[in-house]
Amino acid sequence: MDQNSQQAIRYWTLAQPVVSAYVTSVIRDFRDRDDVLQSIAVAILESFPSYDASRPFVGWALGVARNQVGSYLRDRRRNRLVFDGETVDLLATAFEEIKTEEVRSLDYLQECLGKLEGRARQLCELRYQNDLKPAAMASLLSMTPNTVAKSLQRIREQLRQCVERHLSIEGARS
Amino acid sequence: MNPAPHDMIDGYFDEILTPEQLASLSDWIKSSPENARVFANAALLHDRMRNAMGESALVHDVPPSKVAVRSLGRLFSFPSVWSTAASIAVVCFGVGLFWFLFGQANASAAIRELNRIIAQNTLSKDRTYEIVVEEVYPPIERGANRPPTRESLRPPKPPLDGARVHVREGNQFVLIRKTSDGLPFVTGSNGKQSWAANARGPVKVSADIHHFDRDLPGHETSIPLTNLHEGLGRLRQAYQVQFSTLGPEEYEASDGETVRMLVAVKKPKERGPQRVEIAYETTSGRILHMRFVQMPYGPDRLDLRLSLVNENDLPLDFFQHTSHHSLDRNVETEN
Repeated sequence: MDQNSQQAIRYWTLAQPVVSAYVTSVIRDFRDRDDVLQSIAVAILESFPSYDASRPFVGWALGVARNQVGSYLRDRRRNRLVFDGETVDLLATAFEEIKTEEVRSLDYLQECLGKLEGRARQLCELRYQNDLKPAAMASLLSMTPNTVAKSLQRIREQLRQCVERHLSIEGARS
Repeated sequence: MNPAPHDMIDGYFDEILTPEQLASLSDWIKSSPENARVFANAALLHDRMRNAMGESALVHDVPPSKVAVRSLGRLFSFPSVWSTAASIAVVCFGVGLFWFLFGQANASAAIRELNRIIAQNTLSKDRTYEIVVEEVYPPIERGANRPPTRESLRPPKPPLDGARVHVREGNQFVLIRKTSDGLPFVTGSNGKQSWAANARGPVKVSADIHHFDRDLPGHETSIPLTNLHEGLGRLRQAYQVQFSTLGPEEYEASDGETVRMLVAVKKPKERGPQRVEIAYETTSGRILHMRFVQMPYGPDRLDLRLSLVNENDLPLDFFQHTSHHSLDRNVETEN
């Protein structure tokens, strides 16, 4: 593997969490998201020689991602449940401004997810492993879709607080 | 009135917003860069949860395109003849590794997808499928001196072509066929007892819910057409499941939904149809068509296609035999 490609892979590894979140923010179907993310990875490898190293890689990678996402959305323009082009562009800018520490703070997420038990764990598994939506989950769990959606919202908030607790403990140690 | 922005963000990621609420969320994001950042942070968490819990295989989940292979070629390029030869070897190894990893990831992604479809179709509404027999293969020749089997001595089964099968959770089904003289022949189960209502003779009822299964293709190999949950579950064990690589993998249905196909190929020494194809809506997981290639059916093997024709809750008593014959008919119990 030549040096150029090694560099591309190293940069991509660092940028991937932000690019992945950007794609997820626009393409909610997890499989479609995975497909688009794959084409972004290939496009980045392909066009890496044109990357200007004096500029931030994340911004450049988000530009590549924006093109791939745009192509995906063009095929689905009849769908009223996707963001318009202006929002998609604004989000790309917002993701570009995310700080590295914010991305790294989520490294604690795995530990926080490990603490989930019972119904909370079950809800997360159905939503994130089986890709089920609240209506489908509600039928399985004898809950209402609204209760499922509220529970998921609460779980995410708890996880966010858990991550913040870890960060403050780490901050106190250093 | 629209929900608060934070509720809308969560609602967006769980895909429960109405088009109006989505437009409102979009306006909120556009109204300030700070709002866009709040949304981006929520997306970061949601995305990381998916990656952590869904074992996302980002780089290997999609078929390797020519572009990807070209990229690999460039990654491993060297100038001299010897190093060119070396690079070819490395590229071959790289491509082989890529295909190996892709094959593994594609299979595991396909199994994950199958699990999702099973979950979706377990909890869904009552469904009605139309059955079309595409091909009938002649029975496999048996030795002249071998005694006839119990199956071969049974009267011919009513034709399956054009039959309709209604299914509900909990082993409930109604299969409506027509005999060769055009009379209805209805078999079913309400999950507690099975029954068969021929146009002539008594209605037969059994406390064994599988008593009349012998009329149903797939019952011998645990892939019953009348219990999708059980049938699809068996695919996980006895079949190699992959996303389709034949023809378009994904197409857009008339209502704008995208449709994908899973293909399950029987493992050696396992019993059942040689191949099962499942076309389903990408978002809902709803199965639109299933095709069973060389499905054992008594002494025959059939190519069958089941197509979804209806998805509505049927009357509560629809799966009782009394809904399918006049009440003055004789009812006999069989063990």
